[in-house]
Amino acid sequence: MKVKITKWNAVATWRWDIPEDDVCGICQVHFDGTCPTCKYPGDDCPLLSGKCGHNFHMHCILEWIKQDSAKGQCPMCRQRFEWTEQPSETSMDMTQGASDV
Amino acid sequence: MPAQFAAKRLGKELQKISNSLPPGIELVSANNLEEWLLDIQVLDNNPLYQNEKYRLKFRFGSSYPIEPPEVIFVKVPDRPIPMHPHIYSNGIICLDLLGTGWSPVQNVESVCMSLQSMLTGNTKDERPPGDEEFVRANRLRPKDIEFYYHDNDV
Repeated sequence: MKVKITKWNAVATWRWDIPEDDVCGICQVHFDGTCPTCKYPGDDCPLLSGKCGHNFHMHCILEWIKQDSAKGQCPMCRQRFEWTEQPSETSMDMTQGASDV
Repeated sequence: MPAQFAAKRLGKELQKISNSLPPGIELVSANNLEEWLLDIQVLDNNPLYQNEKYRLKFRFGSSYPIEPPEVIFVKVPDRPIPMHPHIYSNGIICLDLLGTGWSPVQNVESVCMSLQSMLTGNTKDERPPGDEEFVRANRLRPKDIEFYYHDNDV
């Protein structure tokens, strides 16, 4: 039997690459959901990972860090909050391209 | 920070604590997202607090949880103000967690647990120094009082 596909719909799911069932400690919303100020999850409401290993919605942690009372500290462990540089999509594509050569 | 941030976070917390709270902590009322009442009691045999429940009043501003809630003990029938060297007789609490030691990952439940353990660990049947004078003269809200957290043992 020959099947001719006339139309198809692609469906994809995504989640952040962090342990499951984790919520942002500041807003208590699941990381795959948005912070309370955003409408759409994903790139519009990204996460920031601290070098200390604690993750937050970017909008949540920036709201905290800009307070004087935060003293630049991670809300979880009170170590200095410095975020790790995440490879952007473009840089990943470039790496793949390079390895192909 | 928009007030909806506080509202959403408080909604999450209320949902959680309406279902379950640790032993010795009870939700009394939370009719809105501005003021909640909870009762706490100590669970060990500390003779200072045996068979007593204490009522806590939480007040949340629109910047919660970036800013701490205001938390005080309130006196109502059957709910005295617990005797403690960091708790004034008008219910105002001197605890760094509620001031400069606040972190937005703290929540209503964790504050109640901290206060439980603050009572549990206490052996002194006394008020803070200058209690009478403070209670008579103070007109400031707790957040505007500059506490000096001098004593980390109690």
